[in-house]
Amino acid sequence: MTEGSDYDYLFKVVLIGDSGVGKSNLLSRFTRNQFNMDSKSTIGVEFATRSINVDGKLIKAQIWDTAGQERYRAITSAYYRGAVGALLVYDISKQATFANVTRWLKELRDHADSNIVIMLVGNKSDLKHLRAVPTEEATNFATQNELSFIETSALDASNVDSAFQTILTDIYRIVSSKTLDQSGDSVKAPTSDTIPVAIDSSAPAKNGCC
Amino acid sequence: MVIGDFELEIEPVVAAKARLPQGTMKSDAEEVVNDPFFRLLRSSHAPNPNLSSTLPENKTNVIARSGDTEKFLRETSIRHNRRLKFIDCLSKEDVDIAELRKLAWAGTPDDLRPIVWPVLLGYIPLPSNLRVPTLARKREEYLSLVQLAFARDRQSLDQQVWHQIEIDVPRTRPGVQLWMQETTQRSLERILYVWAIRHPASGYVQGINDLVTPFFQVFLSAYIDSDPELFDTSLLPQPILNAIEADCFWCLSRLLDGIQDNYISAQPGIHRSVKRMAELISRIDAPLYNHLESQNVEFMQFAFRWMNCLLMREISVQNTIRMWDTYLAEGADAFSQFHLYVCSAFLVKWSTKLRQMDFQAMGIIMFLQSPPTQDWGDHEIELLLSEAFVLCSIWHNAQSHLNAR
Ligand SMILES: Nc1nc2c(ncn2[C@@H]2O[C@H](COP(=O)(O)OP(=O)(O)O)[C@@H](O)[C@H]2O)c(=O)[nH]1
Ligand SMILES: [Mg+2]
Repeated sequence: MTEGSDYDYLFKVVLIGDSGVGKSNLLSRFTRNQFNMDSKSTIGVEFATRSINVDGKLIKAQIWDTAGQERYRAITSAYYRGAVGALLVYDISKQATFANVTRWLKELRDHADSNIVIMLVGNKSDLKHLRAVPTEEATNFATQNELSFIETSALDASNVDSAFQTILTDIYRIVSSKTLDQSGDSVKAPTSDTIPVAIDSSAPAKNGCC
Repeated sequence: MVIGDFELEIEPVVAAKARLPQGTMKSDAEEVVNDPFFRLLRSSHAPNPNLSSTLPENKTNVIARSGDTEKFLRETSIRHNRRLKFIDCLSKEDVDIAELRKLAWAGTPDDLRPIVWPVLLGYIPLPSNLRVPTLARKREEYLSLVQLAFARDRQSLDQQVWHQIEIDVPRTRPGVQLWMQETTQRSLERILYVWAIRHPASGYVQGINDLVTPFFQVFLSAYIDSDPELFDTSLLPQPILNAIEADCFWCLSRLLDGIQDNYISAQPGIHRSVKRMAELISRIDAPLYNHLESQNVEFMQFAFRWMNCLLMREISVQNTIRMWDTYLAEGADAFSQFHLYVCSAFLVKWSTKLRQMDFQAMGIIMFLQSPPTQDWGDHEIELLLSEAFVLCSIWHNAQSHLNAR
């Protein structure tokens, strides 16, 4: 059995945001239902997958977790190409990680496809007593910038599945409506897991996983 | 009366400490900290320990029963002879570095590593009369670097560097007792911060924290009688902790001198190494190379980390320590040059398995992200090193020739 035949859509999603906000733990919670109080730092880019159901279709999410440190930006931004979704994560207990969201958005504008679906994720919602970023402030920011928004906790698992489910559904809606609009040229049935579906038909993702 | 009570109280505490499961100090630790060769020179004048003393009692029984005694004794005697050669080499007034390199290439005995590594790195000088004063001076120098760096409050630290170090120190070898302790973590923090501000072109880069751990464990082992990974570092007398920390700092500095390009802006050293590795694989294992290409798997997707952390995320620290015996014996540029051949040999090791994975770019990358090396011991590492050596001797000149054109 090959991976090429067991799903209807393959979406490449990147996890970005400052170091230490919990990107790797969101990924391990979503793909393996695991949380590590002390996990190793991410070096460059690491990667995992999970399939979910949307409207009766099997969607395989190919998720690239990136290192938050500035030094790795050259390597990590190369992975934005071909991504149809981005989870931009900050830590609700660290104001600075929220302040940096603007920089991360610029980063995406510079390196990712223009139609990429972005979701703002305020992680560590379990740290209620340490909250430094009010939910309302983040909601407003998300509205202004036309991002969807959710607060999660990789630790107690709240909203983690929901975050991924929401962004994958949003992507699916866009992709499937395009298929109807445009004779399906931009969205081919996957033949190999190496070519994620691109939203923008003018920039088909070749060598999608890098 | 008061004094008497005081003494009564202190005695049992010391005695209890010596028996604690967190570990015990070696009795000559105080001497060894000043002169790391103290133990070696002391014992080399004494009669050679006989063979049977190196056999743990239970092991003797098992072996006698299994009938492998002869093989075991032969191996023990080979090991014993190698040890003697090391001791011979290290006991000279002026250590013959070429000879030491030759010996260390094939692996260094655990108890000699704390002196062999610093000698190979050029941190401990070769002439015996220079060792004690040089070490004293370097450790003093490190202490003053620390004092300078942390002279004022936390706000005056380089915030960006400090912030990243603060996040990464608790994420260094998570779950291992030694590294989860306050004392060890503060030590690691100082080493990384002082190194970072002295090397502004790179600063602290994630993954450098991993590279400190083999040094720390090896140097710590010189002073204690138990497993370094379980040792409670708060039991260390301050001068010994200071010495370990300073020695780690200087040895890390020397190691990183050879791979600075891996950590400066845009990380050109890593890009160069990964590119050369891909070229090499295309020549030594074309079917694998073609397979990866047809699956759209790029070398950068897995080999970046192999270069950035010197394979420390893929193999155990014990494996790494054995590997560094050879790297340090190879010389200063082994961590960039020889390492490339090690990574190539490492990839080719999984060739059959990888070539069977069709339409599985993700599967291939995930496999290479966490290859099954959990039960690797010295034997597997030594095999890898010898395969790398063969590759290096065949291709190294050819590659430099190609690059020159
Ligand atoms: N309390 C809490 N801690 C978290 C949560 N997610 C991650 N962490 C912790 O934050 C630290 C950094 O997490 P990590 O996933 O490595 O962050 P990354 O650098 O963004 O990948 C680790 O100590 C995690 O245990 C969360 O939802 N709640
Ligand atoms: Mg991470």
